[in-house]
Amino acid sequence: MTAVAVNSRAADLWRSTPVRVLKVLFLIGLLIAVPPLIDSPYITRIFVSAVMLGVLAAIFDLMIGYAGLINFGYAGFTAVGAYTAALGTFHYGVSPWAGLLTGGLATAFIGLVTGVISLRLRGLYVALLTFFVGEAIRFSISNAPEFTRGMLGLSVRPFPELLGIDFGRGNLLAYYYLLLLLAAAIMLLLNWLVRSRYGLAFEAIREDQLATQSLGLNTTKYKLYNFTIASFLAGVMGAFYAYYLGILSPSPEEFGVYRTVEILTITYVGGRGTLWGSLFAAFLLIGLQEYFRSIGPWRLVIYGSLLIFVMLFARRGLSSFKKYLW
Amino acid sequence: MDLSLLLDPYILTEVLVQGSVRGAMYALMAAGLSLIFGIMGVNNFSHGELFMLGTYVMFFVTVILGWPWPLGIALAAAVLFFFGMFLERTLIDTLRRKAGRDWVLDAFILTIGMLVVMQNLALISFGSERRGVTGLISGVLVWGPVIVSYERLMILGVASAVGLALWAFIRFSSLGKAIRAASQNPEAAQTLGINIRSIYTITFGIGAGLAGLAGGLLISIYPAYPTVGFEPVIKSLACVILGGLGNVPGAILAAMLLGIIEAYSAFFMSAGWQNVITAGLVVLILIVRPSGLFSSSKVERA
Repeated sequence: MTAVAVNSRAADLWRSTPVRVLKVLFLIGLLIAVPPLIDSPYITRIFVSAVMLGVLAAIFDLMIGYAGLINFGYAGFTAVGAYTAALGTFHYGVSPWAGLLTGGLATAFIGLVTGVISLRLRGLYVALLTFFVGEAIRFSISNAPEFTRGMLGLSVRPFPELLGIDFGRGNLLAYYYLLLLLAAAIMLLLNWLVRSRYGLAFEAIREDQLATQSLGLNTTKYKLYNFTIASFLAGVMGAFYAYYLGILSPSPEEFGVYRTVEILTITYVGGRGTLWGSLFAAFLLIGLQEYFRSIGPWRLVIYGSLLIFVMLFARRGLSSFKKYLW
Repeated sequence: MDLSLLLDPYILTEVLVQGSVRGAMYALMAAGLSLIFGIMGVNNFSHGELFMLGTYVMFFVTVILGWPWPLGIALAAAVLFFFGMFLERTLIDTLRRKAGRDWVLDAFILTIGMLVVMQNLALISFGSERRGVTGLISGVLVWGPVIVSYERLMILGVASAVGLALWAFIRFSSLGKAIRAASQNPEAAQTLGINIRSIYTITFGIGAGLAGLAGGLLISIYPAYPTVGFEPVIKSLACVILGGLGNVPGAILAAMLLGIIEAYSAFFMSAGWQNVITAGLVVLILIVRPSGLFSSSKVERA
């Protein structure tokens, strides 16, 4: 009896608000301190990949987890952001800082248009339509080499110096901290969004569109909001990706179905409709991939099996384990 | 490009013949994909990997064992039929019982996981080199200025025969009737003593078998390598949408149409734009007629 009581008291303490705040601060501290302390470009690159894909997966979660909209051409959408930013800088000398915004706006526009044409559809049809939109974008980029340099690769200028911080490609940590700032802004925005009445509307649409409509909510409007906002954020991340990477090519691994599947897996493993789960899943999956780099394709087998396992046996993903840790 | 070339009857015939052979290839894949979609509601994204396994069975039987090629095609279909049933019963059936009401989208994600696993297991087992079998049948048919290899004509012939057989099976056999009943109203079919679970398993098996057959049949065009399934699955997905999701005859018609359209566009512009045209066409159809080109009924749109 006493043992149980003590346990539950310990568990209560573990879940109390101050301890939770400490846990969040601890995780943020890890994010900020680990790359400079280890001071290896390899580790920093892994952290950049994990945060970038984690945020992209959280944005994906805004669509699939909260509104039940699956954007299966997602990587093509990030390509719009990346290429708009990179081409603007390459051809017209647009500052990379402005490129983050133009990339986001161009993708938001594509998202709005795709949203408008897919409004009559639901579920799988949205997945199929967005898939072909994404492929059409990617093929168009690779078929216009005179403008985009296609598969030859488009080289992109790095961010110029800002506030005395050097954003040369050698200075990885500058890119990492810039990404952390972007990630924090995007995650806080998403977090606010899903807890606002918009978030409630999204979830209502996901659960029962007809019932939501009969309650007098304009489901079309909310779906458009969701899709456009998600596309804008995906475009900003795409633009950051372009300036970080320095060279873009419209390959299926980077902007095609493979990248979409990678992000989708992170979202599902993190748990749909959890937002923050995506970040944890990104570190888990990217970490696993790097750890198993020596075993080649087996790591993708693990990746796929994990997705199958989550679909069949752990349908809430990592968030099923939240109760033990949080 | 000189547009008047289009009116040239010889060129027109040439493009039509090449287009129908191409269309027949797409049709085989599209028929299986559409069947699975129509009966089960599942969009099998791993269909291309089943095709890929078919190419490997074909290569194994004809090159390693040295058996005659018709046997290779038959075995590719048979092996994939059983493998498809195995996949359905172990994975998709499990998901259906767990996921409940909205399992369709989840099943789509599940098949993506199956795709990743199968593709990379093939890469591990067989490596990435391309293993083709060429010259199943040698010789070309020369008919005026139109030149077609006998092999492509054989592909056209086999695809038509299989399409017809599939139609007859669904239309007339008692199992085919049970399958149609299950797709129209699963609950009612169940009360009439039809075992829905078995129907789903068999349907997925047939779809997988068709993909395997296509893989075996097309090995001279698509040699065996782990990612060979990507192009066929994209094209057949396009046909399935153009023909109306779940409408098998519609998908076959759309495949022929797409083949001919692609043959035409290949005639006028660089090959890369073909994919843009296909994707654009699909997007257009989804916007204007989500129920497909040949359907009179309305799809659930709400």
